[in-house]
Amino acid sequence: MINPDSETVHLTSCPHDCGGRCVLKVHVQGGRVRRIETDDGPEPQLRACARGRAYRQRLYAEDRIRTPLRRTGKRGAGDFEPVSWDAALDEVAQRMLDIRQRCGNEAIMYIAYSGNTGTFLHSQLGVFRLLTLFGGFTPCWGSASFWGSLFSSEATYGTLVAGHTPDDMLNAKLILMWGWNPAETVQKTNTAWYLARAREQGAHIVAIDPRFTDSAAAFAREWIAIRPGTDTAMLIAMAHVMITENLYDRAFIEKYTSGFGQFKDYVLGVSDGTPKTPAWAAQITGVAEEKISALARLYASATPAKLLTLGAPGRSAFGEQFHRAAATLAAMTGNIGIYGGEPAGFGLAPVGLKPEAGTGLIARRMPGNLPEGARQRKAIHITKLWDAILTGKQGGYGADYKMAYITNANPVNQFMNSNRAAEALSSLEFVVVHEQVLTATARYADIVLPVNTHLERNDIIRPWQGGPYCIYMKQLVESLHASKSDLDICRALAPRLGIDAYGNMSDEEWLSEFWQEARDMTHGEELPDYDRFKEMGLHRMQRGKPAIAFEHLDAGRPFNTPSGKIEIYSSTIAERNDPQLPPIPTWIEPWEGPQASREGAYPLQLISTHSKRRIHSNMHTVAWLRDLEPHTVWINTLDAEARGIQNGDRVRVFNDRGAVLIQARVTGRIMPGVVSMGQGAWYRPDENGVDRGGCVNVLLNDTHSPAGAFCSNSCLVEIAREP
Amino acid sequence: MQRGFYFDQSRCTGCYACEIACRDWHDIQDTRVKWRRVTATEQGAYPDVQLSYISLSCLHCAEPACREACPADAIHKRESDGSMLVDADTCLGADACGACRSACPYNAPQFGPGPDAKMQMCDMCHERLEQGLQPVCVAACPMRALDCGDMDELQKKYGGCSEARGFACSTRTRPSIIIKPRYT
Repeated sequence: MINPDSETVHLTSCPHDCGGRCVLKVHVQGGRVRRIETDDGPEPQLRACARGRAYRQRLYAEDRIRTPLRRTGKRGAGDFEPVSWDAALDEVAQRMLDIRQRCGNEAIMYIAYSGNTGTFLHSQLGVFRLLTLFGGFTPCWGSASFWGSLFSSEATYGTLVAGHTPDDMLNAKLILMWGWNPAETVQKTNTAWYLARAREQGAHIVAIDPRFTDSAAAFAREWIAIRPGTDTAMLIAMAHVMITENLYDRAFIEKYTSGFGQFKDYVLGVSDGTPKTPAWAAQITGVAEEKISALARLYASATPAKLLTLGAPGRSAFGEQFHRAAATLAAMTGNIGIYGGEPAGFGLAPVGLKPEAGTGLIARRMPGNLPEGARQRKAIHITKLWDAILTGKQGGYGADYKMAYITNANPVNQFMNSNRAAEALSSLEFVVVHEQVLTATARYADIVLPVNTHLERNDIIRPWQGGPYCIYMKQLVESLHASKSDLDICRALAPRLGIDAYGNMSDEEWLSEFWQEARDMTHGEELPDYDRFKEMGLHRMQRGKPAIAFEHLDAGRPFNTPSGKIEIYSSTIAERNDPQLPPIPTWIEPWEGPQASREGAYPLQLISTHSKRRIHSNMHTVAWLRDLEPHTVWINTLDAEARGIQNGDRVRVFNDRGAVLIQARVTGRIMPGVVSMGQGAWYRPDENGVDRGGCVNVLLNDTHSPAGAFCSNSCLVEIAREP
Repeated sequence: MQRGFYFDQSRCTGCYACEIACRDWHDIQDTRVKWRRVTATEQGAYPDVQLSYISLSCLHCAEPACREACPADAIHKRESDGSMLVDADTCLGADACGACRSACPYNAPQFGPGPDAKMQMCDMCHERLEQGLQPVCVAACPMRALDCGDMDELQKKYGGCSEARGFACSTRTRPSIIIKPRYT
């Protein structure tokens, strides 16, 4: 029962990488979190999902790491002994100094990702600062989520601020959910709610997806099943219909775009002899010719319309082409710069704090920082880390790597080719991991340093895709066990590494200074002073209407591209002179795509999806969430019958890179020839190297698209019933 | 007055926020015990497939079968709003009795592990209602698909439908719920 005398309620948020940024109202009593509620203020409330609501179980999880750990067994075995902080930090410092002296700073690889994201202070940046002051390191680059979209948005529009806030869904007549499933991925808080209301207001919603997703079921009037990796072909055929039937917005194309002529020549087959007709695309995509034509006519006529996508179709072999084609269709239909439209670029909306607020500030203000160019030349793409470690200079990389420093990330689990990751980390001299729980990656560490959660430290957070609010995340309980923040670990390591410039600023001093700087980094909104903001917890910037990109098309220079226009022909891409990366949106048959599935030993296309019971690999071990749904591989009824597989059977999913044992879910919700697994289940190889944890990355090819996209949806497998 | 629930199935995406919010608020650690449960119903064959979710708790029936079945008189309806009230001290327990579980058409009565486990189920967040708050599941739903209130008022606001995929309305117990179905 509530005891109002001793229970206090505090507002905070979640720092994980779902894209949403919701309100948690945390009840604290006697120094412990008792309950978690969500926003009950004025609408639009920022209501949290099941994961946020289950956070108490994560905070007090049995598997929280309690002390610093030193490895005692083989790497990966998970055998550790507890050691004191002093012993652990001394060992880390001594090994780093030794490796630097023998092999140079570049032999130290720093692997960090989005374990905490959108926060001002407690992210990878404190470690980035430490390692830079140590003389440098080898960083990684790339995004597992949406590099194809980032790249395309920059090339086509010259900016990442190419999205609308989700409330603008209510202005759309037509919404194309293209490989986009916000009911499970969230993307922005309230996206699904606005979709439901748009549907109720009469918006026509179509889902184009290999799966009949929760979003398709709840919002779409029509589901168009499409083979993974072929979305670009369908978009280009839709352009063919619009061009040949004269349905596109000529005035918009002429005024605001450049290079449409070259694209048109390609679409009509003038430049290569192949007209990209719906019949041509039907063979590639598996979508009926009439459906492609009908969708093209609908998109061209139902203005304003939104083509909404985030990352999935672009997480394929030539994923950037999908995003380039989607933006081109948004331009051809004149859906840019209007309410209810959507540029189909990267989804940052011009509202609230800009991306540069907070993130990067610690790193940028460091003496001794390497110039950006020097760092980037040495950076390794996140899909090539294992190859770099295993092959080093011989493989054409910048160094022979000896050590990995890993924070805010679970790369063994979440970057492609987990078996190769295990081999690579096992080959290093020294691995140090900051973690909250013993993840697949932490099992390969020599030293594991226990990190606290966002409920145990102060921070500021904002929605990473832009939103009219930010949240002060107040420390609500003392750090549990012996855990520390990443920043405190760096503070303790710095003197041991001979760094005296790390600084004496407290968390509060950093935060107050960042906030002061952030006040000049908004899209025009005023922010209260720091003390007032802390008191408010949630600061909402009042807006009467949605925020949309390129609202002022005729003022100034809305597109920061070389031509100042929307570049359908991208001059920056053309400069790269890469035949795999053409300057106009182009269909290229993917490796491990539909064609390869008909030719080799692995006939099924595997796609990786998000799971609503975890955030990537975060919270996978939380019992309340595990209970919600079993972790399964989806397989169509026809494919299951052909293999003698029944719903619930234990099956082996395999290819040349590895094998995973998992439960089968036989369903009509996925198209024949395609299977899917939720990413993020924890890698647990047995003595034969077969993964019993259901980690999809065991199966994925550790390479990237020509532009750098993480191609997790270009993968072929076979499935067999496990006796 | 009979208080009940409204559930907009057409909006439900199966996100489970209601189920977890309930678990957290009432501190139900054991996952075998579910005061509120979200379940999926999948119908049809590819590509003509249909999917719907339903989120159900105790439905605080007008004529509760559990109360009728209870030999120990441990199950009551509150006079103030017709919500159900379980007296754990009087309940005979899972092994000795369990009659309510067999009687309920909605699998609402829950028992934890162990032979002496007493019956527990949704109490409509009685303590929250007393403070003027909605039940925690209603306040949690990111789709605003749940509501709770006087059944007469809910009927005026939402109409009367109480049939949906994954749910059959018992004419015998008369559950206090109105559902807007996804498929009609």
